[in-house]
Parts: sequence; C-alpha cells; structure tokens
Amino acid sequence: MAKPLPLAQRLPTRRVRILTGIFLAALLAFFGLDLNLGDLIPRDSGFRLVLEFFGAAFTPAFTYQSSTGLPEGTSPFLFKVGRGLWTTLTYAIAAMSLSLIGGMALGLLASASFWERRHPLWAVLRWAVRLLIAAMRSVHELLLALVFLATLGITPAAAVLAIAIPYSGTLAKVFSEMLDESPREAADALSYLGANPLQVFLIGRLPRAFPDIAAYSFYRFECAVRSSAVMGFFGFTTIGLYLRQSFENLHYREVWSYLYALIIVVLILEVWSSQLRRRFVA
Amino acid sequence: MVHLGGAPVLRGVDLEVGSGERVALLGPSGAGKTTLLRAINGVIVPRSGSVEVQGTALRNLDQRRLRQIRSRIGFVHQDHSLVANLRVLHNVVAGRLGRRGFWSSLRDVVRTSKTDLVEVHRILERVGIGDKLFQRTDSLSGGQQQRVALARALFQQPTILLADEPVASVDPTRSRDILDLMTELAEEEGWTLVASIHDLALAREFFPRVIGLRNGEVFFDGPADALTPKMVTELYSLDGLDNAGKLDGEGASKEQDG
Repeated sequence: MAKPLPLAQRLPTRRVRILTGIFLAALLAFFGLDLNLGDLIPRDSGFRLVLEFFGAAFTPAFTYQSSTGLPEGTSPFLFKVGRGLWTTLTYAIAAMSLSLIGGMALGLLASASFWERRHPLWAVLRWAVRLLIAAMRSVHELLLALVFLATLGITPAAAVLAIAIPYSGTLAKVFSEMLDESPREAADALSYLGANPLQVFLIGRLPRAFPDIAAYSFYRFECAVRSSAVMGFFGFTTIGLYLRQSFENLHYREVWSYLYALIIVVLILEVWSSQLRRRFVA
Repeated sequence: MVHLGGAPVLRGVDLEVGSGERVALLGPSGAGKTTLLRAINGVIVPRSGSVEVQGTALRNLDQRRLRQIRSRIGFVHQDHSLVANLRVLHNVVAGRLGRRGFWSSLRDVVRTSKTDLVEVHRILERVGIGDKLFQRTDSLSGGQQQRVALARALFQQPTILLADEPVASVDPTRSRDILDLMTELAEEEGWTLVASIHDLALAREFFPRVIGLRNGEVFFDGPADALTPKMVTELYSLDGLDNAGKLDGEGASKEQDG
C-alpha cells in the first residue's frame, strides 16, 4: 500500500471550515446590525430628494445656481471648481510625497529580503518597524484629522499629516510584501559574485519590485486625491468644502459639477499611470 | 562532507583542480553537481572536510574575506541570474560589485562612468552582442542572456569561472556556440573553468577532464576519452539512487579540495 496523502485528505475539510467560518461571520454581521432590505427604499421626502439629486446629474452647473447672496466680486463658478480641484491636488501631492518617503524607508526595513544575509538579531528591528507600520495604518485619516484639527487648528499641515501617516503605513506594508515576493534568483547570483547584502538588495531585488511599487503608488495617489477632497468636510479649502456647502444649500447641480471634476481628475491619473505602466513592463 | 537538510549530498569527495584547468561535472540530477559548485565559492560550507580556493580555506572566513574571494570567482547559472528589468549594461557592470564600495556601486548603476561604458561595450562586442548594450535584459533570447552572463563574468575579471548547467535552458544549436565561447574565453583569460553539463557529448567535446558524480560520490575522474559507454550507462543508471534517502551522516568523511 502506498502511504496515505495527509495533505490531500486534510485540504477539503480545512477549506470547508474556512468557508463556513466566513459565511457564519457574514450572517452574524447581518443579524447583529438588524439589516432590513426595506430600509433601502427611500420614504416620500427622501424619494423626492433622490429624484432631484440624480436629475441634477444630467445638468451640472457651469455658473452659480443662485446669484442671491453672492458678495460683490465673487469669482466665476468654474473658477471656483478649478481652485478647489487645485487645492485638493496640492494637498494630495504633499501628503503623497511624504508618504512615499516614509513608506519606502519603512517598507525596506519591514521587508524580510532587506535583512537577508545579515545577523539574525536584526529581526528585532524589523518586527519593531512592522509594529509601527501596523499602528500607523490602524487609525483612519479622518480620525487623525480630527485630532490634528484640535491640536494644530485648520492649517494645511494638519490635513497633510493626517493623510500621510496612515498612507505611509499602508505603502510600507505593501512595498515590503512586493519586495519579498519579487524574484530572488538574480539577487542570489549577485551575492555569489561577492556583492554585500545592501548591494544585493538594492541592485538585485529592488529593481524587480519597482514596476509593482510604481503602479501601487499611482493607485494610492488616486486614493490620496479622494482623502484630500474629503478633508474639505472639516473646513480645509479642498473641493470637499465647496461640495458640502453646495449640498447644504441644496444646489445639487453644483454638487455634480464638483463630482464630475473629481471623476475627470481620476480618469486623467488612470490614463497617465497605465501609460507609465506599459513603459515599465514592456 | 556536505549535508543539505538531513542526508549528506556529497561524501568523500576528494578533488583537486589545477589552475587553468577545464573540468566538466557529469551525473544524473541530484548527484550533487550544484552542491559541489556552491561549496567551491563558499555558499555552502561542508559539515566536515574543507574547501580551499587558491590556498585559502573557506571555512571560518568572515563575510568580508568570503566576499573578497567570491569577487574572484565568476558564476554562470542555468537561467534567471540576471536582473531581468535592468539594461544589459547594468547587469554587466554588476559583475564588479564585489570589489566596489557601496556608493560607487550605486553610481555604476545609476550613472555608469565613461571608461566603464567603453569597457562594457568592448566586452559585449567580444561575446557577440555589442548592439544590445542599452537593451532591457529580458528582451533578449535565452542564448543572448547567457552571453550577458559571460560578459558580466568578463567584466568581473575572475580567475575561476563556475558554471551550473550553463546551456540547459538554451536550445541545442545555440548550446554549442555558448560553450565554444565560454571555453575560448577561459583559455584567453586563463580562467579555471568548472562546469556542470548534462549533455555527455558536449562535455566530451569541450572539456579535457570529466568528473562523474553519482549519489554524492566521485564515480569517475579522468580525461574525457577514458569514459567508456559502459561507465556512462552505469553513471546514469537508477540503481543505488533509491538508497539516496537512506544515507545517514555516518558515511566516510574525507577532505575535499576545490
């Protein structure tokens, strides 16, 4: 008799157990929240608002929806959209620049491949960095913004820091995983030629992970644009501020202008990043 | 004796390779060819016995000294040994990493000096792919990539070249060209060449000395002509291989020189 295949026998039951677990967790969440599909149908006043709001989507505003109450010398509406967009982008760029530096530095230190061929005691530092990264990721930028608003007031630094801290953590985590998953054969070959651990890592390993790192950074920049827009809800002068004001004034056509402006920015980023990606991969 | 995991991979291997010699390692897969090559450049340290390279014993060397010795030993692998998405130029320049400080090696890759550029181009011309200098390495064919690996070795200026199945991933017609080039370069540069080859005919054609490994032991060591068909059949026969898993650490331990 051939030996039994322990792995093959165990696999299905284990898979079933995991799937059952996920399903049970979903059930628990649904009943715990007392979810009711009927809640998704808006009531009379809500229904009218929905019609009005989505109706405005077909006629976004190009000028202010109502000129009453506008102070003398107010710049044109489209100018305001542009200014909001520009501020949103500058917040995102500033936050992303900091995050790239922090994410790269922490990502290197958190990756196993960086510490290969070094003294095992360095693992202590690596785990400390991983702990730090986890802490940075665990608080959402909006919560951090609340904290920084209370301590720093409405300064751009507060919003930028609030975005940069969790973003650095996320980038560091993902970068470190990309580095560790990149092919290692070429790096080994360099160590065979007498290269030191840092040379092996920077020249043999990092370049292989670079296309993925660049693509992911682009995606995170897109997220940073969204986060920076939302920062406007706290009073920072990004597009979110104007969006909220228009919404509160029931100027839905203006709201849609802002939303379309954001969509266009994300589309432009998408085209740009896919072009760059093609260059890296080809 | 060299162990990997529990069972010894090499036992009682006692070899001496003279300077400038060209040696082919033959034997079925799992015979210990790769392990022997890795022992020669100190990637694997035998549990018992010793490896000496040019009079220096590799045991108990600190990392710095070991890197110094490795910088004089070129290594050509079967495949995947080049950084695929770097240019050919940068892969060749990486040959000298073992002798470069950190900052100068970084500059080599970011902004190669004019003299190095000229030298790399000359070397690439020598291996027949001078026009590929600025191409991305993964855009080259398998045979061309092995030429880049040889160019890297040339730029490294070693005294020994180890090659682990250098033509196993290259199509048969190109294999001869690559081995032709490799042995020619070894002669020109005075390299000691040790290569594992699984094609018997190629080993005979290009290497004056053949070492047959079987089950981690030297089965044959001598001039290629002395290898009889009967010995070859025995070398690759499956008899005895089944015992490989049962070998324990009690086998005879001998000194090994590389």
